[in-house]
Amino acid sequence: MKKLLSVAMMLVLTASMLVGCGNSGTDWDYIKGKKTLVIGITYYEPMNYHDPDTGELTGFDTEFAQAVCKELGVEPVFQEIEWDQKEMELKSKTIDCIWNGLTVTEERKANMAFSKSYVENKQVVVIKKDNADKFTNIDSLTGIKMCAEGGSAGEDAIAADPVLSQNEYIDVSAQRDALLEVKSGTCEACVLDYVLAKAVINDTTDYSDLMIIDGIELAKEEYAIGIRLEDAETVAKINEAIDKLLADGTLKALGEKYGVNVIE
Amino acid sequence: MNFLQVTINLAEGFYTTLLLFAITLVGSLPLGLLIAFGSMSKIKPIRAVVRGLVWIIRGTPLMLQVILVFYGPGLIFGLYGLDRFPAVVIAFIINYAAYFSEIYRGGIESIPKGQYEAGQVLGMTKTQIFFKVVLFQVIKRIIPPMGNEIITLVKDTSLARVIAVNELLNSAQDIVGEHAIIWPIFYTGAFYLLFTGLLTILFGKLEKKFNYYAG
Repeated sequence: MKKLLSVAMMLVLTASMLVGCGNSGTDWDYIKGKKTLVIGITYYEPMNYHDPDTGELTGFDTEFAQAVCKELGVEPVFQEIEWDQKEMELKSKTIDCIWNGLTVTEERKANMAFSKSYVENKQVVVIKKDNADKFTNIDSLTGIKMCAEGGSAGEDAIAADPVLSQNEYIDVSAQRDALLEVKSGTCEACVLDYVLAKAVINDTTDYSDLMIIDGIELAKEEYAIGIRLEDAETVAKINEAIDKLLADGTLKALGEKYGVNVIE
Repeated sequence: MNFLQVTINLAEGFYTTLLLFAITLVGSLPLGLLIAFGSMSKIKPIRAVVRGLVWIIRGTPLMLQVILVFYGPGLIFGLYGLDRFPAVVIAFIINYAAYFSEIYRGGIESIPKGQYEAGQVLGMTKTQIFFKVVLFQVIKRIIPPMGNEIITLVKDTSLARVIAVNELLNSAQDIVGEHAIIWPIFYTGAFYLLFTGLLTILFGKLEKKFNYYAG
């Protein structure tokens, strides 16, 4: 038993030493070396989604990332991730960046570096159309059940608001689940990205019975690209590429195409 | 997205589900037998280690094991470890082998000692007794609990989504996120039901076939 244990310990030690040796060079060298940038995304409109007719991956962030990677001379590889696991994905190098309408927050700055912000967004409250008369402003949203995606900016917005934070709150695993909660009536209201809400709530989708409450704008925010914390060089390279795309109008044209507000 | 497009999309996810199911079975059925022998070993240290491992694997959520196998190498050693699908496969094989091993053990230990003794009297070796006398009786007895586990495996494949493996349920939720339609989530139930229905029929037939070894 003791022998077995000591053999196991030896193995672990040798393995960690071997790995320690392989870890030289910066993160940018690592990315440049493999010539790919693995981009962590979740599928949603209008950022990263499949065109229903062609089946091709498209969207604002998709085209934006492709343009930046072209400038950087690397191949973009879009990898679907589970949003709750994004920090773990980044740290364990299973992805190289998070580029999926990622909101810049102070908490996240402890876990990742951000590129310059590229899109302006805000959090909005979504309710059923049937309740339009009942819920008209923040004060009317008291004593109800609310939900938002766990770890999202919407969740932070609820916690920061003196009225909303008093409500019963449920964190769900994705923004789409928050919409499902409201539609099925298990929650009265949810807080989520305006960009997403505007894209999916309309007469042609299953969310046609939902609406955004007019005039409530929570936590104005900005989207940026999340990069491994220790990696200033990649951040600089990406920022350079963004500046170039801003200067030649590419980014602005993309914003108009997908209906998002590009920060100039 | 019309019905046909959704079905094609879900079929792709279902293929991953099937693949995960099949590879897990192929890997965990024999590994489980090995673990069962280990946990019945006459050598005490082996028995203790194997039973300890079975306790750890059965005592922690499969979802946690999947997360550990996939992110562990990168987080602990700074290495890019396994791809998503192989990571899930490894976690599933180890997990299911642990459960299968206990079913095997129950089956093997249920065979009366007298049969071994009778075999010895007839001059058979231990291996001969196990493969020619004991094994088929064991198989017959463990078919119902194995059927249970294997049907659970069909549904457990949906845990692979925790590291974003595009299995059936994940592919349905992607459709919800991308096209803002909800019904595909519930449509996946038809796929699971169809598959577990087939398995139920298969296990019924298998049981009938082994009825020959009544007793």
